[in-house]
Amino acid sequence: MLLEWMMNGHAILYTGVTLAFWSTILIVGICYTIFDLGFRFDVAWFLTETSPFMWANLGIGLAISLSVVGAAWGIYITGSSIIGGGVKAPRIKTKNLVSIIFCEAVAIYGIIMAIVISNMAENFSGTTPETIGRQNYQAGYSMFGAGLTVGFSNLFCGICVGIVGSGAALADAQNASLFVKILIVEIFGSAIGLFGVIVAILQTSKVKMGD
Amino acid sequence: MAPARTLQLQRISAPLVVFLAVLSVLKTGNCEEQVPLILWTSEGTSVPSQSPPTAGHIVGQQQLASYLEKALEAGPRNVVLFLQDKMSVEDFTMYGGAFGNKQDSVFPNLEGALRSSSSPLVLPAVSWPASNAVIGQLQDQLETSPLYMDPETLSQLRLNTSSPALLVFRLPYGMGADLMSAKEILSGNDEVIGQVLSIMRTQSVPYTAIYTALRPSQEAASLSVEASLGGGRSLLQARGGYRERGRERERQRKIKEKAGIYGPVEFKEGDNTCILLWATGLSVSILRSGRWEDHNLTPSTFGEGVSPKLHGSSCDKTKARLVLNYENVLGHRSFKLIFAMSQRHYQVSARRWFTLDAVELEYDGTKATFNGSRNIYAPAEYSYRCESVTNFRWPLLVPRSSKDPANQWRVSLEDFQIQGFNVSGGEFSYASDCAGFFSPGIWMGLMTSLLMVLVLTYGLHMIMQLHTMDRFDDPKGPAISVPQTE
Repeated sequence: MLLEWMMNGHAILYTGVTLAFWSTILIVGICYTIFDLGFRFDVAWFLTETSPFMWANLGIGLAISLSVVGAAWGIYITGSSIIGGGVKAPRIKTKNLVSIIFCEAVAIYGIIMAIVISNMAENFSGTTPETIGRQNYQAGYSMFGAGLTVGFSNLFCGICVGIVGSGAALADAQNASLFVKILIVEIFGSAIGLFGVIVAILQTSKVKMGD
Repeated sequence: MAPARTLQLQRISAPLVVFLAVLSVLKTGNCEEQVPLILWTSEGTSVPSQSPPTAGHIVGQQQLASYLEKALEAGPRNVVLFLQDKMSVEDFTMYGGAFGNKQDSVFPNLEGALRSSSSPLVLPAVSWPASNAVIGQLQDQLETSPLYMDPETLSQLRLNTSSPALLVFRLPYGMGADLMSAKEILSGNDEVIGQVLSIMRTQSVPYTAIYTALRPSQEAASLSVEASLGGGRSLLQARGGYRERGRERERQRKIKEKAGIYGPVEFKEGDNTCILLWATGLSVSILRSGRWEDHNLTPSTFGEGVSPKLHGSSCDKTKARLVLNYENVLGHRSFKLIFAMSQRHYQVSARRWFTLDAVELEYDGTKATFNGSRNIYAPAEYSYRCESVTNFRWPLLVPRSSKDPANQWRVSLEDFQIQGFNVSGGEFSYASDCAGFFSPGIWMGLMTSLLMVLVLTYGLHMIMQLHTMDRFDDPKGPAISVPQTE
């Protein structure tokens, strides 16, 4: 039975990743302790020595990619329901495309934020933490944070809108009057993606990268 | 009262005597300190041969005295003593052609003499104190004082068969651990032996010749310095002991001399070393009229036998200051290079750290200061070591301010190691290196890789939860056919 459970792809994947992660941490921790080199574990060194560009570009990448994941997930959930429901009730097809558009909007938020954030990335000439300067570090971290904010908000917004839209399509197929009511739920779901965008804009409002 | 005290003394001294006896036995049983002794008589004289000692037996003073007595009783009483500074059996093994290469032997004269003698006596292991005292013993037995000679003075001397004589020829061994020079020296000594023996032959005086040494030649015993790096000890040798430590230190010193390694600059407060500094390169440069003028300070600071002036240095529990004083550097009469360090307890890491606060250049009343506390730090128990400490190439030192005279200077230290606190035994503690295990680039790569692995995991999870629709699958029904035609 254990073998059967192990044959499950999910189990292998998650066991593998978890094992790799925890064993790395354990071995690194043991090495630090045995060699009495714990003083070398320096988070501040890591944060100041890694380039602000890494953080900025991670933010940009996460902004667009997570938003697109959310949108895609939502669309595939809604889409399959619309097509399935449309077999028996073809009238729902056109009306329910609005759910798809709500999901798509999430992806559009993501790409707009990615472009806005990437426009803030400028070149700077410093090489050491002192010469790089406070502002560049702040810029790097802000862009990372903004990207993360908009990415995750749009991810869950997209899933939410997708599941609600799927429900709306199937309810509409049963009873045409239900659609408008469910659309209101969908609008609320869509708003949360917008919150993420607003906060991300606020985070990057003070960003000024460069010399 | 008095008898009681003497009785007490007697009681105390008995265990002491036993202890000393044990010590003396152990001393004579020491297998490191032996010197061979070879005794032969001139050809034509016959002497009853004495049985050599059993293999591995070390002849002590008493036994040596009895051997010599028997030899001198029966044989000629003119003794020619060839006393080498150092000798060991290994010399004969290595240079005596013992491995079938007789043509390479450096002892042809000695071998000839032994062959032509009627009863040579070879004692391979005479304890070192005994061989050292062989002159004294011969003096006692012959009742004559020794005459120190060399081949030239011997040819002028007229020897008498009736009265005993003790002629001592001192032969060198040399200081070098270099194998080649030992061979040459032994060859030279053998030449001297040959000369002396031929002079004695021309004078037709019967003699007894003894070839021995004052001390064992331990360099030969340990082959070469490099070969015995690991320890060079025999299986049953007891570890430790002051002789072994001294030998080890001597060995290390010779290795370092060969490799050009030298000790660090030490500042001592009283008896204890307080600050240690070491580097392979130290140079300063000044910008004058658009050009950089360099001055290499390494030869006057580091090196074997170089001791820079450290006036003005100080150290206490929290601050240490090493001042290197130079003269005539880049046109400045007096030039000082100052390393200022401090240590204190830091709360967040709950440990003491020391920092190199400043590197100062003081010349003609001006002071150029570089800050180093930002990058040069280590836990207070350890030393700090970095491959390159400069203010211009991956700078770890920065001028204190933009108007500081340090902006006209360049300081460069290569393979730099410094310790200002908790120095024990005159040696550096563990060196906390400025280069960590992972560089910032490696960390950045690891972080992004980790992120991508997470994304991959997420994607794999999603794809694996897609299932094809199998509700209407009927394995027993007809297969789906897709007709080609309409």
